[in-house]
Amino acid sequence: MDKDLLGNRTTEVEREVARLYDALKALARRADAPPCVARNARKALTCLWQAANDLALVHEQLYDLGV
Amino acid sequence: MNDQRYWNPKTETMPRGDLERLKLHKLRSLCSFAAEKSPFHARAFEAARFRPEQLKTLDDLRRVPVMTRAAWMESQAKTPLFGDLVAAPPEAAIRYHLTSGTSGRQPLRVLDGMKDWEWIAECWCYGFWAFGVRPTDTVFFAFSYGSFIGFWGAHYCCEKIGSLVLASGNMTTENRVKQIVEMGATTVCATPTYALRMAQVARESGLDLPGSGVNKLIVSGEPAGSIPAVKRMLEEQWGAKCGDTAGMTEIGTIMIFECDRQPGGTHIIEDHFIEEVVDPETLEPLPYGAEGERVVTSFGRGFLPLLRYRTGDLVKKVPHTHCSCGRTFDLYEGGILGRTDDMKLIRGTNVYPRAVEAIVREFDAIDEFQIVVWRKDDVQDEITVKVEVKPDRGAGADAMLAKLGGDLAAAHEGLRFNLERAEYGSLPRFELKAKRLKDERRRA
Repeated sequence: MDKDLLGNRTTEVEREVARLYDALKALARRADAPPCVARNARKALTCLWQAANDLALVHEQLYDLGV
Repeated sequence: MNDQRYWNPKTETMPRGDLERLKLHKLRSLCSFAAEKSPFHARAFEAARFRPEQLKTLDDLRRVPVMTRAAWMESQAKTPLFGDLVAAPPEAAIRYHLTSGTSGRQPLRVLDGMKDWEWIAECWCYGFWAFGVRPTDTVFFAFSYGSFIGFWGAHYCCEKIGSLVLASGNMTTENRVKQIVEMGATTVCATPTYALRMAQVARESGLDLPGSGVNKLIVSGEPAGSIPAVKRMLEEQWGAKCGDTAGMTEIGTIMIFECDRQPGGTHIIEDHFIEEVVDPETLEPLPYGAEGERVVTSFGRGFLPLLRYRTGDLVKKVPHTHCSCGRTFDLYEGGILGRTDDMKLIRGTNVYPRAVEAIVREFDAIDEFQIVVWRKDDVQDEITVKVEVKPDRGAGADAMLAKLGGDLAAAHEGLRFNLERAEYGSLPRFELKAKRLKDERRRA
């Protein structure tokens, strides 16, 4: 993610937050993950969403992932 | 971008123009989601002929229909338990909380999903960090941890910050003050009324609160936290600086906080909320410095999308330049100034006189009644319901009063109501609009 919601160039930290956020979303979508992975991935995703949303990188809902 | 004074330096110091653009982006996103997922909003949008695509600038916010607590409660009455405002499957919720209703026994019920619950703590983080709470702090919560949402979010905020959290649950006041001193708590969170009560009990128990480790007192739940006289009293009795916050169950968290510069007002968390100040009669927007009603749009709680929700709170918005902290978030001068309606806040619980009346009127032995709000020992807010029992129904009156007290408490998150039997004919009678509520609390 090169730009934030306002079209500003993202920082290195912001790009790392965005990368981890996307990775956690992908992990939460997997149907083959055991409960310990599925639930902890969602818990981590709730936290990364806060960071990504605070930094104006995303503003979306995650209820389809049960988050 | 690594300024440790702010929880989120990027948005807290964002130029106003960018902040407005960010709010517009989030508003469009939330309105589109609400139109698709919340039958409540889909219906309201259609009635107002509003479509999210019409949001071109932040001024277009006025196209979004306002939302009232009465309409929300009506939706819950029609579609129990949660109404059709809910925009996600109820089974995705992880938390349930409630607040007392505006009429009768029906409470207002709220649900939160995982993301929303974490967001609730996140908003508290803006406020606690701004007032100086850090990982090295030990934070004591004088809070009962029940279905009332109160300081729940603040508790998780402090865990997130990394502070040591002391949850006092159902401890007695004596045990609470003892633990605050023994554990070396540096920060205490309570309602202003209860903070004064704890200080009183500490004095009676010979505990030296001003000499203890407490250096920050963070209050919420009552407007008194921003009243200078009350704040002075709290700071003297605790020997700590006192910071105000305010939130509401409907949004689940705080929307305003006082920073450590304490400029006589509370900053609005503007990247997570749109806070409008409008004329309560015309709903026209008011300029800086004019007192009006708060109307809130909350971006974080998608489970229950709150769009232009009329709060009934009276506020006065002033520009961010009133504070020297560097935040670009505007402020409410003096915090929450009062109410546009007759709701009373008693020890953090909302009490609507018409809801009390609806319950009292279920007891046909009661002829007349009066609600008296008063302050015990100049410290603790109390509510007393005085009732006149019909002359021929005196037998069993004590049991009836006990039941009435229980029913009132059950409808108000366990708030204790004092019940008093008045002599028959002694309470005022009304020919036109009845005024059965007397607020005897001294104005600061």
